[in-house]
Amino acid sequence: MGQYQAGYATAPSPVASYAASRGGAPVVSFKNVSKHYGNLHAVDGLTLDLRHGETVALLGPNGAGKSTSLDMLLALRKPTSGRIEMFGSDPYHAVKSGRVGAMLQSGGLMPEVTVRELVSLITKLHPKPEPVETTLKRAGIAQFADQRVDRLSGGQTQRVRFALAICGQSELIVLDEPTTAMDVETRRLFWSSMKEEVAEGRTLLFATHYLEEADQAADRILVINRGRLLADGTPAEIKQRAGARRLSFKLDPVDEHFLLGLPGLVNLEVRHDLVQIQTSDSDATLYAVLDAGYRPREIEVTSLGLEQAFIAITAEDDATNGNAYAGETS
Amino acid sequence: MGGTLALTRAEISRLRRNKRYMIFTIAVPVMFYLIFAKTNSTGYGVSFAAFYMVGMASFGTLSGAFNNNTIRISQERKDGWIRQLRLTPLPANAYVVAKVLTSMVTTVPSILIVFLLGRFYGHVQMPIWKWVACAVTIWIGTLIFAALAVALGYKLNPDSVQPVTIAVFFFFSIFGGLWFALSGALEKLGEFTPTYQIVQISTDVIGHGSVALVNVIGLVVWFAIFAVLAIFAVRSTAETV
Repeated sequence: MGQYQAGYATAPSPVASYAASRGGAPVVSFKNVSKHYGNLHAVDGLTLDLRHGETVALLGPNGAGKSTSLDMLLALRKPTSGRIEMFGSDPYHAVKSGRVGAMLQSGGLMPEVTVRELVSLITKLHPKPEPVETTLKRAGIAQFADQRVDRLSGGQTQRVRFALAICGQSELIVLDEPTTAMDVETRRLFWSSMKEEVAEGRTLLFATHYLEEADQAADRILVINRGRLLADGTPAEIKQRAGARRLSFKLDPVDEHFLLGLPGLVNLEVRHDLVQIQTSDSDATLYAVLDAGYRPREIEVTSLGLEQAFIAITAEDDATNGNAYAGETS
Repeated sequence: MGGTLALTRAEISRLRRNKRYMIFTIAVPVMFYLIFAKTNSTGYGVSFAAFYMVGMASFGTLSGAFNNNTIRISQERKDGWIRQLRLTPLPANAYVVAKVLTSMVTTVPSILIVFLLGRFYGHVQMPIWKWVACAVTIWIGTLIFAALAVALGYKLNPDSVQPVTIAVFFFFSIFGGLWFALSGALEKLGEFTPTYQIVQISTDVIGHGSVALVNVIGLVVWFAIFAVLAIFAVRSTAETV
């Protein structure tokens, strides 16, 4: 029994190429941004650009640095080193100019007022806001606009937070885990209203751990783990990068040395006689096995979803850098 | 400033709906005044009705500006409301400024009502300038209590802020001489409190129309200390709210 990791030599490296493929000044730009808490590197040398009109998902396991990155972007925390620019200015002034609308997991609401009163208040603070009634409709909260904020359900509260993020008609919308606490139907409504926002030319950055959401809603995915950017590309590119397919078969005896040299191989797992290979080119991998004279049994080829791609990318990173780091954080 | 005022208006309309707030800033002082004002006695050289008017008006401002703010600020910091506001175009200090302004506005009715009771129920009679001087002195107390409330609200979490608030509140009201005039050792214990300075200045104005410099300096020093504490508390938590 053993697990082997191969590098990404055979997979394209979209990190540099994707950003270069789009023109225009970036809406947001992280330049080698780090946030350290003592020995803990919550964010570690993050460099990325967001362009106008993109819908970008920030994807990563818990503790990957998603929230810290968004906090720094929104001027709630200061980077230990590096620089963040938004609309050509620093985050604080960009937020104060009303060009950013945001919804955080940790963002609370003012109690003892009605939903309409709260939305009106935040609307008044923005330079060129949406009419309050339009915001209420868009966020799907018009039917409980006269209820008190502190008497709402979790999903309703989340929609009110969303209303506060969009009421200013800001150019950039930042959402941290927006659909947490929403049921399936609410989540669907949420994304359809979000698509209206994007259709109006807004840039959207959202953090999520629902991979399906990232796959469906985003046109670009940033995978981060341990505060570093691991992958940056379209959902299709991310899947391909992680090894798009899984090939499994039984083989007796197993020659691990030989298997590790297979073309297209991204990840190899062997359990007794069961071989599981993640590969960027399942045809080439399988032919190489057959060409070498092996006759594997129970051959299965399945395509990976984004979820498995995500797990593969972060697992690879954990295996390479994990142990020393885990010791520091615990 | 427009945004800060909008937030202040929202805070005021919140408080107007809050029964607890109304009870402690208005109903309790009014009730105590109705019960005790006609005590046949004196306090700090003035009639008991006049002394107790000062005491109960100060009691209203203390509970309105201090108790109310410590607990709310701490809770709203924990709930993330302060974070949410920081994501809006509001200036960074708007939350604190709005809280202080709200207290300055919402303690006015409690001062006015107790003073009206003093005039028409307690039969306190004095020239108009003395009424104004006393009201303004007590009203300035709002600013001092609100500053301390900001410092504690930002520094303490909701669980620990409650007992600290109650302890400070009782100390300031009892040993500051809001409930009864103190003398001897008890007076020594409380004569440094901001509430004591307020009562002394007011009763001095009522009694002989002049004030002791030491009490005025005392008020200014307390305000300076609490304001500095508040600024430090707000700054030190900038990364965690």
